Amino acid sequence: MEQLMIELNPQTTQPVVQVKNLAKAYGSNVVLRDVSLSVAEGSVTAMIGPSGAGKSTVLRCMNLLEQPDSGEIVIDGHCINAGKKTSPKSLAALRRSAGMVFQHFNLFPHMTVLRNVSLPQERVLGCSREQANEKSMELLKRMGLADKADQYPSRCSGGQQQRIAIARALALGPRVMLFDEPTSALDPEVGVEVLEVMKELASTGMTMVVVTHEMAFAENVADELVVMADGGIIEKGHPGQILKDPQHERTRRFLRAVLER
Amino acid sequence: MNNLVDVAIEYGPTLLGGLKVSLTLTILSLALGLPIGLLFSFGVTAKNKAFRYISVFFVEVGRGAPALVLLQLMYYGLPNANITLSSMASACLALTWTTAAYSAELIRGGMQSVPSGEIEGSHALGMSYRDCLRFVVIPQGLRIALPSLMGFAVLLFQATSLAYSVAVPELMSQAYSIGSSTFQYLPVFIVAGLLYAAISIPATWLSVGAERLLSRHL
Repeated sequence: MEQLMIELNPQTTQPVVQVKNLAKAYGSNVVLRDVSLSVAEGSVTAMIGPSGAGKSTVLRCMNLLEQPDSGEIVIDGHCINAGKKTSPKSLAALRRSAGMVFQHFNLFPHMTVLRNVSLPQERVLGCSREQANEKSMELLKRMGLADKADQYPSRCSGGQQQRIAIARALALGPRVMLFDEPTSALDPEVGVEVLEVMKELASTGMTMVVVTHEMAFAENVADELVVMADGGIIEKGHPGQILKDPQHERTRRFLRAVLER
Repeated sequence: MNNLVDVAIEYGPTLLGGLKVSLTLTILSLALGLPIGLLFSFGVTAKNKAFRYISVFFVEVGRGAPALVLLQLMYYGLPNANITLSSMASACLALTWTTAAYSAELIRGGMQSVPSGEIEGSHALGMSYRDCLRFVVIPQGLRIALPSLMGFAVLLFQATSLAYSVAVPELMSQAYSIGSSTFQYLPVFIVAGLLYAAISIPATWLSVGAERLLSRHL
């Protein structure tokens, strides 16, 4: 399966996500300058780079949690242009096609695990309670959390909470999953549970964009590696190649720092 | 001591009648003031300027002016503007204003302490702004605000004693009139104070219990 993924070339298949000339600044502080990116159907793109490089901002611009100053975002045919005003309808459509997983899970603590996964299905997709719960239980089972359905998130470990968050996002049937440092708030042992789930997800052909510091994941699971620094993409390509033979001096410095610690 | 028991027995029914009026005033002010407070809690941060300015005016005046001033304003002041209210109605109006103003700030504080990550989470899921308020922000915000709202309710109950100054026959004014006709001020005020405490102290326990119950998953 993994082999097959690598052979898929981003140029020949219709991209699910396209980001064109994205730019953003907070006052005089430029956080993104002219970022363009395209993610092929069924591929896994890993984004790495030093903190402050703008990786998370790119991801958060993709579903407009951050408003870019200029540029264009197309996800599954839903196009958002930073210059024009976005209608709530097209924003909702875009967000429905992109599932997001956060560093700090962002579950709703006052609802049970099952409600966390079911509520968005009811409100966003208009499912009935029974339909939603059935789908939620199926996903929780897949995440190995069927026994946690009636618990509250605070009673679950960090790794479990993150898997609940993944189930919650998957329940809406997204075309692409965006992961914003999904294991950074977890201790390494627990992070593995989450990485396993993500690997399984990748192997089923889910399109994924992952901002991460997990180099092993980037190397073994990703089809495309994007290296960012100072608000721009400095290098992208096959992960093995970049990790073995980085072209850019900034990439070399970053890789030395993360790999030789 | 004997004196105290005698006063309690003889004037108990009158004082209990006053207590009933105090409680009625408290409940009416809360029932009217809390929904208005919820409205103002949105108003003070609203984008709509008219809504925001009106909310800020009522919240700031309601918190800035002492309840006694508002009471006197409603009872003695409004007739100058050709609005004459009964003593109970004017007391109720004044304390409703106070309640709305304080609860607006308490509720706003509760809503603002809902972690922004959860709001982002609901947006990222494609939930509408209204759904986010209805399912994520308001339930948790009220939960966070509830213990302090209950604390405020106890203070409001005690503040109803100010309504004696506008001739509402509540506990304090009953105690005062018994005192002035019998000169048994000391025992009658002690009994009145005990009656206030008999309501306030258990209510405080209740709010501590509620806090524990509601924060169990947060």
